[in-house]
Amino acid sequence: MVTETEFGYTACPKYEALLEDYLDGALELTDAKSAEQHWRNCANCRGALEQAASSVRLLRLAGPSVGPGPAFARTVMTRIRAAEQERSSERAGFWQPLVSLGWRFAATATLVLGALVSYDAGWGRHAQRNLATARLIGTSDIFAPDPANPPADRDEVLMMVAETNHGK
Amino acid sequence: MADVPNNMAASAQALPLSLDRKRKKEEDRELVRLSQNGTEAAFEELVRRHQQRVFALVGGILRRPEDVEDVAQQVFLKAYLGIKRFDQRAAFSTWLYKIAVNECWDYLRKKKVRPLVYEADLSEEQVSRLDGIVSADRPPEGPGARAETREVLDRMLAALPEQDRQLLVLKEMEGFSVQELAEILDLNVNTVKVRLFRARGRIMDVYRRRMDSSGKLAGSRSTQRKG
Repeated sequence: MVTETEFGYTACPKYEALLEDYLDGALELTDAKSAEQHWRNCANCRGALEQAASSVRLLRLAGPSVGPGPAFARTVMTRIRAAEQERSSERAGFWQPLVSLGWRFAATATLVLGALVSYDAGWGRHAQRNLATARLIGTSDIFAPDPANPPADRDEVLMMVAETNHGK
Repeated sequence: MADVPNNMAASAQALPLSLDRKRKKEEDRELVRLSQNGTEAAFEELVRRHQQRVFALVGGILRRPEDVEDVAQQVFLKAYLGIKRFDQRAAFSTWLYKIAVNECWDYLRKKKVRPLVYEADLSEEQVSRLDGIVSADRPPEGPGARAETREVLDRMLAALPEQDRQLLVLKEMEGFSVQELAEILDLNVNTVKVRLFRARGRIMDVYRRRMDSSGKLAGSRSTQRKG
């Protein structure tokens, strides 16, 4: 009995792949022998094989689709170069915010450093002036005894104090 | 910058069908290696070698001739940008065709369209034309006639599930092997064979139905059933 789809035949599932190989001319000799033996007795497989062979003839009538033009490879390479350029500018664009941030940081750091240096220089001069004043004050210390003429007794000490502004 | 070896460029231009596949793969490996080192000319050579097949593959999936060139260019651009990461464990062609398949699906998804779908019904004139071509059993001559035949067959193929249509187009019209289809579509080789075989039955069902509805196959069908 022949089982049909609406119009055609359905092969035994076990033999479908073998039948496809047979159509393709890719069936091994031993497989081919056993397959041929089967479809000699199987009308389904025989019908399905004929049907499949017809499909090959039918579909090959169209031939392959139209191929690329002669300038295709050049066009591809031009597109690739354009994409490469775009990519490298994008890459630069990606790092741009970081680069400008770096420059800003460097400028700020320079300014701060400059301010620190100038402050340090000014503070140094001020400190030196203070030291000089301190030395000056140190030499005219009112309580310091005159090494050339030291007071002889307690009264002379009191007199010396009284002669300065501190005594007033 | 290194140049592409002359013999490769020459053999790629001629592309003889008898070219040993293994040698071709070896040459591809070398061209890939050169491309990975930044030799643009080597990549251009790879484009020349594979452009025909990529066109066929993209055309087989999209069935929109106006979009094929754009998508094919995009495929090579993606391949160029990713070639440094390609470890050459698979053949370059397999890797490239997978990119092509993914690119086709991306393209269809972005455009929110299905591959070009024709109305499956054929006009009386188209049925007559197809009948004439099939009776002659040889491809029509001239690009116009070939394009017409292709359109009629495309209309018939539109009646099939998408995967059946793709397998038949890529195998029978564009000349991909079962092994290549399995690699490209990530399917088991046996699965491809079985699906192909079943798809053949379906397309012949469609063909007979079209012919039958126009009365052209009535005689041959009854003869076949009796046989």
